[in-house]
Amino acid sequence: MTRPDGVPAQGPVVSPRVHGVIALVEENCTSCMLCARECPDWCLYIESHTETVPATTPGGRDRSTHVLDRFAIDFSLCMYCGICIEVCPFDALHWSPESDYSEGSLLDLTHERTRLSGWRATPAADGPSDVREPPDPVSGS
Amino acid sequence: MSALVRAVREVFADDVDDLLDVATDFGSTTIHVDSGRWTDSLEALAAAGATYFDFLTAYDELENGFCVIAHLSTPDASDHVLLRTLLARDLPAIATATSVYRGAAWHERETHEMFGIDFIGNDHLEPLLLPDGFSGTPLRKDFVLASRVVKDWPGAKEPGESQEPTTSRRRNLPPGVPQGWLREESTPPNAGSRHDKA
Amino acid sequence: MTRESLDLPSPTFGLPVRPAPSPTRVEWRSQDRTFVLSVVNFGLACCSVEFLAAVQGRAEAMAAGTIDARARHAGVVTDDGPRTSIEVLVISGTCTDALAPAVKVLYDQMPEPKRVVSFGACSNTGGPYWDSYSVTKGIDQMIPVDVYVPGCPPRPEALLGALGELMRDHDDQRGSVTP
Repeated sequence: MTRPDGVPAQGPVVSPRVHGVIALVEENCTSCMLCARECPDWCLYIESHTETVPATTPGGRDRSTHVLDRFAIDFSLCMYCGICIEVCPFDALHWSPESDYSEGSLLDLTHERTRLSGWRATPAADGPSDVREPPDPVSGS
Repeated sequence: MSALVRAVREVFADDVDDLLDVATDFGSTTIHVDSGRWTDSLEALAAAGATYFDFLTAYDELENGFCVIAHLSTPDASDHVLLRTLLARDLPAIATATSVYRGAAWHERETHEMFGIDFIGNDHLEPLLLPDGFSGTPLRKDFVLASRVVKDWPGAKEPGESQEPTTSRRRNLPPGVPQGWLREESTPPNAGSRHDKA
Repeated sequence: MTRESLDLPSPTFGLPVRPAPSPTRVEWRSQDRTFVLSVVNFGLACCSVEFLAAVQGRAEAMAAGTIDARARHAGVVTDDGPRTSIEVLVISGTCTDALAPAVKVLYDQMPEPKRVVSFGACSNTGGPYWDSYSVTKGIDQMIPVDVYVPGCPPRPEALLGALGELMRDHDDQRGSVTP
């Protein structure tokens, strides 16, 4: 394995659920603001607006839906606690093991939603974010 | 009853009102005394065998005042008590523990620096940890953390909003931040935080 | 009065006494020259442990002391070229306002050319202590920072990536190191 800029392999293989960076599954996000409110570092920024979806059946009702305008995490501030991932009701956030994204400018460490979505490629993006081993069966003691 | 608790009870035999509470929770005994009897209590505990001074610190009980606590133990850790007293919020002061435990000097210095509590008889309450020129007593709960005031809470918005609400409806408040810290609703949203620029 | 005459216990708690930390030397093979990086770790808190893990084996190339960055120039085979030294200061951990002057002094005392890596959220912005009364909100308030490594803590391998980021310009421009 070689980095894009030619620096050779990184060392040991890490678990796909290592707390490296937080990936966004944009289509799962409902702009509910729960993650931004729970973040102890105040480092998660969401902006959204409301759109009206016309009724699909005659006589039906129009629905209103929230559309995401901005989703950004400031990784210069983030403490990688994972509360945003735990609190998301729709699994729109999950861990990715990538850890190599240092920057020459602090502002570049704020990852906007395109970049956050890009981290989806690295872990097993097909599974839910919190796959856990089943608990050991209780021994009959 | 442990020997340490018995020793304190003996000291307060004639003034039971000054011994405010003796409670044992989860195997640890807390003795709550009147602040005027702080030195008496320390002397009694030291004489009864609690010669190991573990720590002295304080915590803020808001309108009740400040609690000063000292944890004392026998050298073999067979018995230990937490001695506690309550000080008034305006002009909190208490007699020094250094007359009984010399090692308390460093702890009183730190507690003075962080809570502004005066330890009468300790003449060396110099700043210890905070940088030169720091003003204020940061571990008091009314010490305002400037960063929380300057930065807008990203969670104040509702779903479907891209700006913080400017209307007068009740705003969501960030958990753990006392009311009154955040800026008034009349100030424009998103003013000033460096992390909002990007 | 010396510590021995006071009969105090040894501050090393019986462990063998280690010398003061010396810089970790890493040779960075660029296209036409070799940079010798003297990497000094100023460990202020827990991120320092990750630095130690990196230089003691987790980041293999760094632990081995040689990073060959020539692979990016496909087909180019060069010898090691002239050698240039660069001092790299890694600030790993929480910097408090009380300690900030020491960081400044350390930076000022380093010889040119020098580069600074801010390793971890605390030295980047204050991190979990962003609202603290006593923590500096980023070491870039005192000294110029060339690379910011995110993480709380960053993985050891991220230090290697940070050196890549640091040396990117030198690789790209076949450039000389300017102080």
